[in-house]
Amino acid sequence: MLSFNGSPGPARTTSYNVVLPFYTYAAFAFFAATLLMVFSPGDFINHYFQPHILAITHIMVLGFGTMIILGASHQLVPVLIEGELYSKQLALFSFLVAAAGIPVLSYGFYVFNMGWPAKWGGLLVVLAIIAYVINLAMSMHKSSQENVHAVFVLTASLWLLATASVGLLLVYNFSYPILSRNSVEYLSLHAHMGITGWFLLLIIGIGSRLIPMFMISKYNQPKILWWIYGLINAGLLLFVLIFIYRPGGWIWIFPVFPIGMALVLFGNYCYRSWQQRIRKKLDEQMKISLLSVLLVSLPLLFLIGIIIAIVMANEVQRSLVIAYGFIIIFGWIASIILGMTFKTLPFIVWNKVYHLKAGISKTPNPKDLFSAGIFKWMILFYIPGLALFTAGILFREIIVLQLSAILLLFAAALYNLNVIKVMMHKPVTL
Amino acid sequence: MSVITNDNIKCTEALAGLENVIDPEIGLNVVDLGLIYQLDFDEMDKKLYCTMTLTTQFCPMGESIVHAVKENLGKSFSNYDVQVALNFDRPWSHEMISTKGMNFLNE
Repeated sequence: MLSFNGSPGPARTTSYNVVLPFYTYAAFAFFAATLLMVFSPGDFINHYFQPHILAITHIMVLGFGTMIILGASHQLVPVLIEGELYSKQLALFSFLVAAAGIPVLSYGFYVFNMGWPAKWGGLLVVLAIIAYVINLAMSMHKSSQENVHAVFVLTASLWLLATASVGLLLVYNFSYPILSRNSVEYLSLHAHMGITGWFLLLIIGIGSRLIPMFMISKYNQPKILWWIYGLINAGLLLFVLIFIYRPGGWIWIFPVFPIGMALVLFGNYCYRSWQQRIRKKLDEQMKISLLSVLLVSLPLLFLIGIIIAIVMANEVQRSLVIAYGFIIIFGWIASIILGMTFKTLPFIVWNKVYHLKAGISKTPNPKDLFSAGIFKWMILFYIPGLALFTAGILFREIIVLQLSAILLLFAAALYNLNVIKVMMHKPVTL
Repeated sequence: MSVITNDNIKCTEALAGLENVIDPEIGLNVVDLGLIYQLDFDEMDKKLYCTMTLTTQFCPMGESIVHAVKENLGKSFSNYDVQVALNFDRPWSHEMISTKGMNFLNE
């Protein structure tokens, strides 16, 4: 037991100063990406290797997805490892360097200048990731508690570093022939390392801790999580090997099995957690996050379709590939973030504004810091926007793409409005 | 879960006050959540020792909750010096939630 003398405050959590800039940046990036989509719907019916598609993809995966996950993980890693974050300075450095690098890199893609913008932008992004990995590894090293969730997060960050390094290599490959093949041929390797190694591992690592925690579930099976961890990494490594040695034919489908099995296990993990929850009433953000677990099955179906098309017709169905990438980024990743932003951000801001007022006077609840009405409208624009844009890609209909891009832009604007509302919250006494 | 104390009457009064300290995420008060382990009253030195826990050691709301507990006990026992310590040797689990708390969460 801790002594009373000189003890305790509770263990120090990561300061809001570290976390909030990531959230703010991510919200603007989401808006910027949807704005660009409104102006380039025609690009989504052509080849996926298009300057505008590359720019939008990187704004979404780096500016929106990765930035918000980096921010949230600086706050959540101490909860996972039951130890303090190693360095606040490294976290801020990571933010500043990534914040500078992402727009430069995206500009490089948008105007297709693989010279200084793409090279410097890419270098800065890799540097930011290295700082994040060091911070994470040192935090885990200092902590006495090691658990499966933390291992997921650390491994995911290493895959992120590998993904960004491969990306940078591809940029340099345009100027100097470093690789044996054309950069375009490496895109699927780069993309799948990022999607599976970074996003999937990280989301499962953090989600498997937070979902049961928020629901106060009795379900706790770390053994299953280790299986999921092994299956995803084995599937991804198998994919990398197949990519390098290119044996051709049906062998491409093999990595889908372990990863698909891991997804089924994780779906079952979430279902069991939900079944054995003590807290029966779930809020909207939690429901959206649980729904997004189901959404992960959609890209998997698209992927199987793409593989079958390659093997049967011996050609890559471009619209299927674009729809597959779109569903992953705007469907699966975005829906998790849309839900979890308003599950985490109000608490961070509430802590900033009210932590010394708690107990003295009646304060609003964290969930009162954002507008539930705006959140509902955001979802009402987002879901049809997502479905129609996917249909627009598959049926190559520019009008549908244009209209649905506007719906997604409205969803992003409402998301920003709610984020700003939370950020600007001033203390009130009830 | 019952709270260990050396003064049942004062402890009841303290717990009644602490029912106003709500975990902002769960919406349940710290008493029914089972976060309060022990309340000891030192009449000689006029000190009130509260031993409690958090649902997780690095709970982002931990500082606020501990601050609220201290302030609340200070309000109820203004002539006592209130000291709060955290105990993670006996980690919190859902079994520590009171029946009243379970009913609230089952609603």
